[in-house]
Amino acid sequence: MKAKRIFIADDDDDILSILTLMLKTKGYEVQASTNANKVFEQGSQLPDLILLDIWMSGIDGRDVCNRLKKDAAMKDIPVIFVSANSQLEEIALACKASDYISKPFEMDYLLDRIQLNLNIQQE
Amino acid sequence: MVKEKKYEDLIIQVGELQLQLNEALETIEAIRSGEVDAFVVKNGHGNQIYTLRSADFNYRIFIEKMAEGAVTLNKEGLILYCNSSFAKMLGLSLAEVLGVPFETFIPVGYKKLINKMVTRGWREECKAEIILPGENNKEIPVLLSINPLDTDVDPSMSIIVTDLSFQKQSQAQQIEMDKKDEFITIASHELRTPVTSIKGYIQLLKYTFMQEGNKVAAELLTKADLQVNKLTSLINDLLDVKKMEKGQLIYHEAHFDFNCLVKEMLEETGRTIHHHTIHCELDTTGMVYGDRNKVGQVISNFIDNAAKYSAAGTPIYVKTVYKDTTILLSVQDAGMGIPKDQQQKIFDRFFRVSGDKENTYSGLGLGLYISKEIINRHYGYIGVDSEPGKGSTFYFVLPITAAHDES
Repeated sequence: MKAKRIFIADDDDDILSILTLMLKTKGYEVQASTNANKVFEQGSQLPDLILLDIWMSGIDGRDVCNRLKKDAAMKDIPVIFVSANSQLEEIALACKASDYISKPFEMDYLLDRIQLNLNIQQE
Repeated sequence: MVKEKKYEDLIIQVGELQLQLNEALETIEAIRSGEVDAFVVKNGHGNQIYTLRSADFNYRIFIEKMAEGAVTLNKEGLILYCNSSFAKMLGLSLAEVLGVPFETFIPVGYKKLINKMVTRGWREECKAEIILPGENNKEIPVLLSINPLDTDVDPSMSIIVTDLSFQKQSQAQQIEMDKKDEFITIASHELRTPVTSIKGYIQLLKYTFMQEGNKVAAELLTKADLQVNKLTSLINDLLDVKKMEKGQLIYHEAHFDFNCLVKEMLEETGRTIHHHTIHCELDTTGMVYGDRNKVGQVISNFIDNAAKYSAAGTPIYVKTVYKDTTILLSVQDAGMGIPKDQQQKIFDRFFRVSGDKENTYSGLGLGLYISKEIINRHYGYIGVDSEPGKGSTFYFVLPITAAHDES
């Protein structure tokens, strides 16, 4: 089976490398960037799932999510907000994100949610 | 036989009646215009005095008693009347204000504005916010509401002076509160970000050590991870309090098995409590409707407190009692106890029991405050029984929603 592709956007390099390492270990193909807008430059290699931070040094994850939801090719890709923002839940709902994970997170929980959202997507 | 009245007699009689009628009309007019305060009526028992309460008497009381200053000016801008509130605002007596030009009380910087307003005020209602000099040079922000008075006599103008000090002060306080809330929002984000990396690295390392079969190292990292969780929950407490105060805390409500949750919390807290034996006595369980995580937070807060405020080696008892339509959870310790006068206050925000070596105990003083808010939101109640030196029993009672036959 082809490995699922996950795009991660976070302005924190440490978090990016932790997530990249862990997800690669678990067999995912990972694209990670501190520039969330790179998600729109993936060409035909569209991700199967997107992990998105909210406050990203000049980029607002809400804008990125709203843009994704308007993009014909990408609107159905599940977006999971991963953020330390105190209004995370409200933001995720308002932006029609599939899920949200509050920072700091339990790695097992994050992996479960990714799997769950990919399963839902497949159905 | 009745003597027929002559035409002349009748004329005289009509004239007298006319006079009486005029007199009555004049009296009524005098009463109406306020010229008469009392009148005397002769009757069989002597003189009866009737005092007249003028129609505007009630309004005068209103004006005298209201918190706003009320002033009337004549065409020359002299104060014809003012209530005591206005004089009090300026820190003067009524005598010092009456008959004085209103302009006298206006600070130089506002004179131009007020002169303009007063000129306009003779035609239409107008308002202005200015500063009046109060007692001891205190600056009083006020709202002036100027209205022309439509009276038959000399034209006059009314000015209502509303003291805005309190309003301005609470506005300033509100701004301070908003700033504080914003600070907490940003601070919690900034604190959580590095904690996320630390926790992430710990979990990565732990995963690696597990793969290598290094159980000792993995175990050490589990301990480090638990400490990170403690730090996270302190940050979350600060945020929760802010959200509770603003009514922004979101509750995810569902039916859940109560004992199941208690067992889970015992296991979780047990991981960090090493010097106490926790005894557990659970009654038949019941289904509770509410936010499982938040009720769990209360239980773990009780257990953590019990361990924190009692000596190593002493027991902790966790009990549930099912009764009628409620379930009671209690956590009993053999610790220092709480003085009677502080027992209710411990549920207040930032409150920490004062006493011997109070500062040697860790904590922000938010746990029980948050617990109380959570239990109240679930239509339950929270309390404590305690005797200094003997220990404390913290408990809460929650309503049960369904039959308690599941276990």
